[in-house]
Amino acid sequence: MSVRSHVAALAAVSAALIALALGYHNPFILDLVFTGLIFAVLGQSWNWISGYAGQISFGHALFFGCGAYAAALFAVHHGSPWLALVGGAVVAAVLAVLVGFPCFALRGHYFSIATIAVAAIAEITASNADVLGKANGFEMPILAPSLAALQFTDKGQYVLVALGLFVIAQLATVGLERSRLGYYLRAIRQNQEAAASVGIDARLAKLVTYAGCGALAALAGALYAQQTLYVGPEDTLGLPISISIALVGVVGGLSTVWGPALGAFVYVVLARYGGAMLGGSGRGLDLVLYGALILLIVSLQPDGLAGFARFVRRRGTAASS
Amino acid sequence: MVRGLSKRFGSLRALDGLDLDVPPGRLTALIGPNGAGKTTAFACISGALRPSTGSVRFENHEISGTPYHRVARLGIARTYQIVQTFGEMSVLDAVIVGALLRHRRVADARAFALKTIEALGLGPKRDALCRSLTIADKKRLEVARALATEPRLLLLDEVMAGLTPAEGAAAVELLRAIIATGVAILMVEHVMEVVMPLAEHVVVLAAGKPIFAGDPRAAVNDPVVIEAYLGRP
Repeated sequence: MSVRSHVAALAAVSAALIALALGYHNPFILDLVFTGLIFAVLGQSWNWISGYAGQISFGHALFFGCGAYAAALFAVHHGSPWLALVGGAVVAAVLAVLVGFPCFALRGHYFSIATIAVAAIAEITASNADVLGKANGFEMPILAPSLAALQFTDKGQYVLVALGLFVIAQLATVGLERSRLGYYLRAIRQNQEAAASVGIDARLAKLVTYAGCGALAALAGALYAQQTLYVGPEDTLGLPISISIALVGVVGGLSTVWGPALGAFVYVVLARYGGAMLGGSGRGLDLVLYGALILLIVSLQPDGLAGFARFVRRRGTAASS
Repeated sequence: MVRGLSKRFGSLRALDGLDLDVPPGRLTALIGPNGAGKTTAFACISGALRPSTGSVRFENHEISGTPYHRVARLGIARTYQIVQTFGEMSVLDAVIVGALLRHRRVADARAFALKTIEALGLGPKRDALCRSLTIADKKRLEVARALATEPRLLLLDEVMAGLTPAEGAAAVELLRAIIATGVAILMVEHVMEVVMPLAEHVVVLAAGKPIFAGDPRAAVNDPVVIEAYLGRP
């Protein structure tokens, strides 16, 4: 897709969601849309390092949690939530560099395993540290609703803020695809040896990308915390969160601009309706469904939904010509 | 440029005391029978392997021990014996990746990559995926990607292997054109015939040791070289 068609698609999606947020006051649906947008951003963050750069991360909750905890800490200590967004993003980027520096020396599955371990360490640390609220986490104070406080009475306004972040993430990805770094990441994913032979410093490229991933996921985490007003270790740093983020990326399609958004849409619908129908009686049955879905997609359509759409389009043009 | 280069793997001396000079605008060939140490020498010179002793110098920079990705920045580019392409990228994108080394902006890199692709006769295939190319075209693509980094020294690891005679002849023409631009080429080859029309200087390796250095026409008549290839009569 050209830059123009990406922007056009983004404008269309935004217009539809703005209309929904302002005109439709069903809290169930708006909550679904908000969660979908947050996961679309998380999936996009995951897509940068795991899709474009090919380094599969199962520890992305680390950055999500970093943002969420930043929001909680600033709220509890009467700081501005906007500062929390910036602070969380900066801390997550620094964390990404610290984690990435040793971990990017590992290749393939070993990197994935290391990311699980680091996120688990973070979860245990948060569960035991007094400053991070231990296992109970934080209940954030309810403030007078305003944009400055990033708290609203209407769910639609949360959707608008999340939409803003989503638009930023999408535009950043379109830019990444066309940038020097984007070319480098794809080359590294295809063949790291050959990439080095034309002068690409693979570790540096991955570190820069990972820092960006961390910052973006932290912004999503902070917004999420502003809406739920509760932050706990399991809900923000737990392995299921990391798996969900990876699921969104895989279902939608790796290394595509729109894959994470498609994946997030499928994920929230499954999580809400599937969770409501299946999760109650035999808890965890919805998780079986995710597992089956990942298996199906990886074996039948490794390029995900976006890849499937491309496949259909190509067949269409082949048939008509 | 290469002085006293040796590489041991345990007790095996894969390479023992290689001296080599590669002047600009010339093609120098490193040849020898199977297991002579050509690939080891190549890996040491390109920076992929660290030699046990000896030095590899390029324009006053010591190559051995330099991180691999920095070797390219110094002006050395290479191709691989077993082709290493960016499989799922298009031919144009793969060459753009090479061109980005000297062109900061993607648009500039793209323009330079297009020129390089045309010069190497890959123009009609610029949108094809790298993995869909024939072996001959993949080798051509590797040369294009390497040239896109604007090297002053080009290292070719058995580029002729697996090519049909017609493809080989085309490749010889291509290499002539590259030499004419003033680039120094060091070529590692198994088969002596292919370097005959191109090389001005050959070094023959056998069992890790250099056994001949000089004119290629003299090499084919040298009794020690003939013995290394064919055995004692």
